Amino acid sequence: MNRNYYILTAIMFFLALGTLFIHERKVPPEISPGELLWDVLQPTRFVSTDEVAKRLIEKDPSLLLVDVRPASEYNKFTLPNAVNVPIDSLLTPAGQSYFGNPGMKVVLFSNDAILANQAWVLLKRMDFKNNYVMKGGLNEWMKTIIQPKMPPQTAPETAFERYDFRKAAHLYFTGAGIAKAGKSASKMKVVFKKRKKAVVAAGGC
Amino acid sequence: METLPKQKKNKTKYINPYLGGVLMGIVMLISIFISGRELGISGAIRDSVVATANVISPTAAKKSSYYGKFLKNGHHPMDNWLDYEVLGAILGGLLSGILFKRVRKPFVERGPNVSRGRRLTAALIGGILFGFGTRLGRGCTSGAALSGASTFAFGGVLVMFILFGAAFAVAYFFRKLWI
Amino acid sequence: MGPLFPNNLISGEWNLLIALFIGMAFGFLLEASGFSSARNIAGAFYGYNFVVVRVFFTAVIVSMVGLLYLGYFGWLNLSQIFILPTYLPSMITGAVIMGVGMIIGGFCPGTSLTAVVIGKIDALFFAIGLYLGILLFAEGYPFLEKFYHAGYLGHITLTELTGIKAGWWAFGFTVIALAAFWVTAIIEKKVRKRIKEYKF
Repeated sequence: MNRNYYILTAIMFFLALGTLFIHERKVPPEISPGELLWDVLQPTRFVSTDEVAKRLIEKDPSLLLVDVRPASEYNKFTLPNAVNVPIDSLLTPAGQSYFGNPGMKVVLFSNDAILANQAWVLLKRMDFKNNYVMKGGLNEWMKTIIQPKMPPQTAPETAFERYDFRKAAHLYFTGAGIAKAGKSASKMKVVFKKRKKAVVAAGGC
Repeated sequence: METLPKQKKNKTKYINPYLGGVLMGIVMLISIFISGRELGISGAIRDSVVATANVISPTAAKKSSYYGKFLKNGHHPMDNWLDYEVLGAILGGLLSGILFKRVRKPFVERGPNVSRGRRLTAALIGGILFGFGTRLGRGCTSGAALSGASTFAFGGVLVMFILFGAAFAVAYFFRKLWI
Repeated sequence: MGPLFPNNLISGEWNLLIALFIGMAFGFLLEASGFSSARNIAGAFYGYNFVVVRVFFTAVIVSMVGLLYLGYFGWLNLSQIFILPTYLPSMITGAVIMGVGMIIGGFCPGTSLTAVVIGKIDALFFAIGLYLGILLFAEGYPFLEKFYHAGYLGHITLTELTGIKAGWWAFGFTVIALAAFWVTAIIEKKVRKRIKEYKF
């Protein structure tokens, strides 16, 4: 009887000793399906093209534009200062380093809003915060900022104010030289902005 | 004389306490693995108090700052995990009692130097104190101390040590009840 | 993968049925270990029966150590389990009151319920007392509310409070508990020699 207790004591002791050498497994953060559904249904993730244009003109340092289209399309045309994270590289550490940085607002865009929306849901699932989707994507950008249409005479005054802003923005973004310089500068900035976020990518132990 | 009838009449043995402890630990692990929580008892008694208050006066209970907390979601106050678990605990106790032949005609178990009336009074007073304490301590020995401590909760460890410490500290004054 | 229910791997109805079975196992073990006797429980504080200490602390260390291993093997997401919140003043007071109640009444809630069903009237009185005590608290809640919520530290674990790894806590508790088992066995032997009429 007594010998059994010695054995049991030893077993329990070594089991407890073992806990000193194991590490807690870091489970990557993710949100529950219910929460995800709720957030997906919220329209608050959308920002208008006007808002994006305004922030760009103001050179808002907390704004990061992310182009989720394939690299080939990105190279043809993109927004000023935008970085390219194709949706299929969203799960790589390099791709994820752009998201969830404190103080940064990330606006995702694609040709329409669909691809950007998909990227947004993925990021949400991984519990990254402060991500937005540009409403209507680049198509909307073309329609509103690059080729703004004059509102009909009956439109309210705010529509005309918006039109004035869009025309100014149109000049800003299509002005010869400026846009080119802005774009090449943006590509350099990409490297500069790339901050490693170690915790997120490091799964397991 | 029926001072210690159980021990004298039938020699039912208890299981080895270490075996019981290991199995209880495993039950807690299973509980955590399935439901993400551990055991508790006093919360169910609270639910029965809430349910009674709700039967006696539903409107007053809903308005009450304490009962109202447990009547908000529209559920019956006795319809939650804890209450099913406690119902199970009662059935489990009965099962063990039957299996080890410890179920018997109602009797009062008491120490050698204490009358039946005093034992019952002490049990009632002890119960009232314990019941009151469970609400302040956010759980009883099972809910706060056992389950809390085994999930490394600071509050659980705190309750565990203070509960046993306090009992030990005042044990001398109540020795007449037990020895 | 675990815990299953918070991750929606099992449905609510199953969870309640499982609660019933888990409760049954718990109640069975309480009764079978001898917790249905107030004299056994009180014995720990007079040195003649340490069954409470044995069962209780064995359960705690098994659960503590097991939890860490489950987390390590990836079967359990330790961040999803329920952690008891800490409210310093009220929990300290509550624990003191509970301790005094335990030595006077000889039971704690779980053990009293398992003792009631095997026919102990003293346990029934204790259970009635529990009900009255909680009723008293509920009725007096408006006066106690401030105290009840004071000193809130959140759902805090020992590791978060001290910064010491959970493994060290599990190891420390295990060593203390194992030492306590040997020491209490010696005490028990000595004390039992002096007690004549209580058969063990």
